[in-house]
Amino acid sequence: MALEPIDREELVILAKNAGLNLPEEYFPDLVDAYGHVQEMLARLHRGRARGDEPAHVFVPKTFLPAGEQPA
Amino acid sequence: MMDPNFLTIAEASDLIAQRKLSPVELTEACLKRLDNVDDQLNSFITVTGERALEEAGAAEAEIMRSGPRGAMHGIPFCLKDIYETAGVRTTGQSRLLADNVPDTDCDAQERLGRAGGVLMGKTTTWEFAHGGPSWDVVAPPARNPWNTDHHPAGSSSGSGAAVAAGICPATMGTDTGGSIRLPSAVCGIAGIKPTYGRVSRRGVLPNCFSHDYCGPMAWTTEDVAILLGIVAGHDPRDPSSAREPVPDYRAALSGEVAGLTIGVPYRWLEEEAPASAEVRAAFDASLDVFRSLGARIRSVELPPLEQFDDAKKTIAMSELFTIHEKDLRTRPHLFGASLRYRIICGGLIRAEDYIQAMRMRLVLAQEVQAAFGQVDLIMLPTAEPAGKLETTPHNWLFKHKGWTTAFNVSGNPALSVCNGFATNGMPLSLQIVGRLFDEATVLRAGDAYEKSTPWRDRRPVLSAKVDA
Repeated sequence: MALEPIDREELVILAKNAGLNLPEEYFPDLVDAYGHVQEMLARLHRGRARGDEPAHVFVPKTFLPAGEQPA
Repeated sequence: MMDPNFLTIAEASDLIAQRKLSPVELTEACLKRLDNVDDQLNSFITVTGERALEEAGAAEAEIMRSGPRGAMHGIPFCLKDIYETAGVRTTGQSRLLADNVPDTDCDAQERLGRAGGVLMGKTTTWEFAHGGPSWDVVAPPARNPWNTDHHPAGSSSGSGAAVAAGICPATMGTDTGGSIRLPSAVCGIAGIKPTYGRVSRRGVLPNCFSHDYCGPMAWTTEDVAILLGIVAGHDPRDPSSAREPVPDYRAALSGEVAGLTIGVPYRWLEEEAPASAEVRAAFDASLDVFRSLGARIRSVELPPLEQFDDAKKTIAMSELFTIHEKDLRTRPHLFGASLRYRIICGGLIRAEDYIQAMRMRLVLAQEVQAAFGQVDLIMLPTAEPAGKLETTPHNWLFKHKGWTTAFNVSGNPALSVCNGFATNGMPLSLQIVGRLFDEATVLRAGDAYEKSTPWRDRRPVLSAKVDA
């Protein structure tokens, strides 16, 4: 499914929300790259069950100071 | 005695132990080779010649006194220039870190130093191991020693070129989507991306935390096994470091592969990312070698390559943006255009997308591990042979489907070895993937293959300034 290209003004807002105050010369790259990113994000599987875990788990003991970690 | 520049680590360490080769002679030969040929390759960004000779002298004195500590004692090595080294410039190939001199060593330098290795210097990479090849960064990109008009892939570019050219027998690369295996492949050497958590990432400039792997590259699989045995192991100061026992990888190189079942993801190679005729012929011939050694070959079904790429790139762009957000907001002009293009959109990816990609990673990893219920190893080519070194369109990142990234997503160990040469003389490559933390079987298969084929007998020829 072809995605509608993002409007330049919308992209300016997204960039501003990301804290980017880019010089004009970088905008063509941002527009081009974001087109590819949009396609990629659209392919990500959605609608997973509420309990589906992401591939990161916080193991608190991992973050103990080196000397206090279990052998 | 063979030219010291073309000795493997195993051969050089045997000669050193027998006192037929001194670490100082070996280091001098490596530095001379570097001086003679590296203006054609740009494989080194910083050379630590004086320090190397001092370390080699100390190694020599200790070996004469009490024998070698192990196979790396007195052997020169180099580090990709994202490995931090105390007192030695570590640039990440970026103008942002052009004068960066760390105070502390990375874990790999600590371990290789304790093993008696001799640091020769730092090797060229792509900017922060991600964007390249670039000419608008702190140094020009490396070139491929088999043909200097061609590229050595990335991002451990200089490491691959330096080993293949006989400048240095040992190096450490990093791999976030293929950056150890691809330069190893196109430079005709061996390199392993170990299991996630097997080798500490401490003190290595991050590309993308969740997909970064550190691993060794060398001329042979045996040398890779020697190096992995030194750098593998738990590091309490790396939160991703695994508490898994480290076997004797070199002792595991029995040559025995009879009875192993090898899975081939034919759908990837025939439909999703078709291999060229030359690559496919070399791959099929490699499978024949394993058949002749008693292994069984079967097809294996894995999820589509595109799903691995989508998950990895969504995660990587988000993490890269987070790592570089301050510089992207305040001095974006100091990034090379290639890296800037690749990461600037990371700030526009929503947290929901990042987490959906992390959920997808979990499912993909589970499916790869399930495939290892049917096979002992998965084999496929690593890469097409290297093309010309030229500016790559920035959006190549989004258009290219490779055969390496899937195993960064899944976490499995993956080795690249040379499996022949294209008609234009450039190296071809075989990728051997194993179960989690089973690097020993992967290395055993790679070593058995190398010892059954003639590819380790050929070296690139470079014109030297002075006859080395």
